[in-house]
Amino acid sequence: MQSLTLPFIAIAGLAVLGYFLAKSRALQVSGGDIRKLVSLPSQHALNAVLATIVPALAAIFLISLYVRLTDGAGSWFFQFVVIGLAVTGLALSLIGIKTETRARTFAERWILGLLIFASTIAILTTIGIVFSMLFETFNFFGQYDWRDFFFSTDWSPNFRGNSDLGIIPLLWGTLYISFIALAFAVPVGLFAAIYLSEYAGPRMRSVAKPAIEVLAGIPTIVYGLFALITVGPFLRDYFAAPMGFGQSASSVMTAGLVMGVMLIPFVSSLSDDIINAVPQAMRDGSLGLGATKSETIRQVVVPAALPGIVGAVLLAASRAIGETMIVVLGAGAAARLSLNPFEAMTTVTVKIVSQLTGDTDFASPETLVAFALGLTLFVITLGLNVLALYIVRKYREQYE
Amino acid sequence: MEDMYHADRAMSTQQDIKIKADKVQVYYADNHAIKDVDVEIADKTVTAFIGPSGCGKSTFLRCLNRMNDTIDICRVEGDITIDGEDIYDPKVDPVQLRAKVGMVFQKPNPFPKSIYDNVAYGPKIHGLARNKAELDEIVEKSLRKAALWNEAKDRLTAPGTGLSGGQQQRLCIARAIATAPEVLLMDEPCSALDPIATAQVEELIDELRQSYSVVIVTHSMQQAARVSQKTAFFHLGNLVEYDDTDKIFTNPEDSRTESYISGRIG
Repeated sequence: MQSLTLPFIAIAGLAVLGYFLAKSRALQVSGGDIRKLVSLPSQHALNAVLATIVPALAAIFLISLYVRLTDGAGSWFFQFVVIGLAVTGLALSLIGIKTETRARTFAERWILGLLIFASTIAILTTIGIVFSMLFETFNFFGQYDWRDFFFSTDWSPNFRGNSDLGIIPLLWGTLYISFIALAFAVPVGLFAAIYLSEYAGPRMRSVAKPAIEVLAGIPTIVYGLFALITVGPFLRDYFAAPMGFGQSASSVMTAGLVMGVMLIPFVSSLSDDIINAVPQAMRDGSLGLGATKSETIRQVVVPAALPGIVGAVLLAASRAIGETMIVVLGAGAAARLSLNPFEAMTTVTVKIVSQLTGDTDFASPETLVAFALGLTLFVITLGLNVLALYIVRKYREQYE
Repeated sequence: MEDMYHADRAMSTQQDIKIKADKVQVYYADNHAIKDVDVEIADKTVTAFIGPSGCGKSTFLRCLNRMNDTIDICRVEGDITIDGEDIYDPKVDPVQLRAKVGMVFQKPNPFPKSIYDNVAYGPKIHGLARNKAELDEIVEKSLRKAALWNEAKDRLTAPGTGLSGGQQQRLCIARAIATAPEVLLMDEPCSALDPIATAQVEELIDELRQSYSVVIVTHSMQQAARVSQKTAFFHLGNLVEYDDTDKIFTNPEDSRTESYISGRIG
C-alpha cells in the first residue's frame, strides 16, 4: 500500500492542473466569446478533472485487489500504470476541447462511472470480508471437528493443544445478554418515542430528542466503564448478594442493562420517525369516533407503525449481538452456560478478541476459531437484517 | 309529485332543533377564522355548508365535535349546544362528545385493519356490544346501512385499505354509524370520489336522514342542492345566509349568495 502514496499525490496534482488547463484552453478555443462554446469552460474543466481521476482510481482499486489475492508487493510498474492512465485521461480531454465538444454530457458519464465505482467498492468489500473469513474458517474446520464446534458445551481454549472450542456457551452468553438488553431498551425506547411524537410539545421535543440522541454518541468503552464501576457493584450489593445469587460484580445483568441504555436511542429515534410518518388522518379518524388519545395510539398508530418498529428493534438486536466492549467490562470473560443472570458470562465477540490478542501464529485451531466464531456471528446478524428488511417491506405500504 | 316533495320538505324543517350555535368565534392564533356565527341545525335533516375555499365551513364543522381541540393554536368562543347542552362546558368530555357526534372526513381514512375491525373499532371502545354475536350484528347493520354489505360480506377479514376509494369512504361512514351517533358530520365526503361513488354516497346520506341529523360540508353546489334540506352559505368567516335549500338556490336574499351560486365569486 505504501507504494500507492505517490500515485495518489500525482493524480491529485494532475487533476488540479487539468482543471486550470482545461478552463484556459476552452476560453482560448472560444476566442474570448464563451457563447460560441457548446459547453461552458467550467464544464470542460470538470470533464478534464474526472477524466484524470476516475480511470486512475479504478486502476488503483483493481491493482490493490490483485496484490491482495496474489500476495505480491506493489511494484514501480503499477505506479507507472496508474500515473500513465491519469496523464492519458488528462491529455485526451484537453485535446478534445473544441467549440462543439459536449463536455457537459461527457462529464455526466464520468460521474455515472464514479457512482458505479463507489457502489462496487461497497459490494466487493462485503464479498471480500466473507471470503477472507471463509478461507480461515475452512482452515479451522480442517483442524477441528465442526460437530464439536457447534455442539460442544465446553469452551476452554488451551494453547498447548487439546482445547475444547464449543460455541454454545458463547452463543448462549451473546443471546442472554442481548435479550436482557432488548427487554430493557425496547419498552423504554418505544415509550419514549410515543411520548416524544404524540404528547410532547414542540419545546419539550426540541430538548428531549437531542438529549436522548446524545446517548448514541457515547463511545461503547465509556458505557463499559459505567458498567464496571457503577452498575456492576450496585447490582451486586443491592440485588445479587442479598438475594443469594452470587458475589460477582460482572454479570449478564450488568452488561445487559448498560447495553440496553446504549440501544435506547436506536429504538426511540427510529420509532419516533416511523410514528411521525403515520398520517394524521388515521389519528383524526380514531379521535373522531370518540377514542381517547391512548386508545388511538394503542389501537391505530402503533399497529400502523408496527412494521417499522419491528425493523428498528431488529436493527438494535444486530447492534446488541455485535457489541464487545460493554461485555468485556460488564460481564467478564468467563465462558459459562448458566441461567443465573447475576453470574459472569461472555459473548462470541469477546472471545474473538481474546483468541486473537497476544502471540498468535494463525495456524493453531485456538486462533483460527476466531474466524469461525466471526463467520457464525456474521451469518446470524445478516439473517436478522434480512428478516428486518423483509418485515419492513412486506407491511410498509399498508396505510397508503 | 311536486306538492309531495314540498310537503316532505316542510315537514322536515319543522323538526326539533338539534344543534344551536350562538355567536361562535374561532381564532387560529391571531387569525379570526369564524366571526359571529349563529345557526340552528334541525334534527333528522341534512344541512349543507357551502362557500368558497377558506371561508371557514370546515372549521365550523369541526367545532361541532370539538375536533379543533386537537389543534393547539385553535381557540373557540361562543356557545354551541347539542340538545340544549353546552358542548364547550368544562364538565363535558370531548371524547364522549365525539362518540355522540360522528365524523366522516374528506379523504377516506380506513385504519390499516380488516374491514370488520374498522367497523367494530368504535363499538369495542365504547362497549356497545356485550359479546361477539352482538358485535357481529352491529358490524353487519352498519355495513348494510352504509350500502357496503353486499360488496364486503365475503371479505370482512381483508384489509380496509384494499377497497376502492368509494368503498373506503362508505366503510368510513359505516365506521361512524357503528358508534350509534346522534349527529353525523361530513367534511367534503365526496371530494375524493368519482361520480358513481359520489352518487352512491349521496343516496346513502339521504337515507341516513331518517335516523340522524347530518351536516355536510361540500364544494359542489349541485350536491348541496341534491342532498340537503337546509343550506348555509359561508363567506370569509361569516355566515352570510342560512335558509331552506330551495330558497337559497332559487331566491337568495344576500347578493353575495347569489353571486356565489351563479358562479361569479368563489
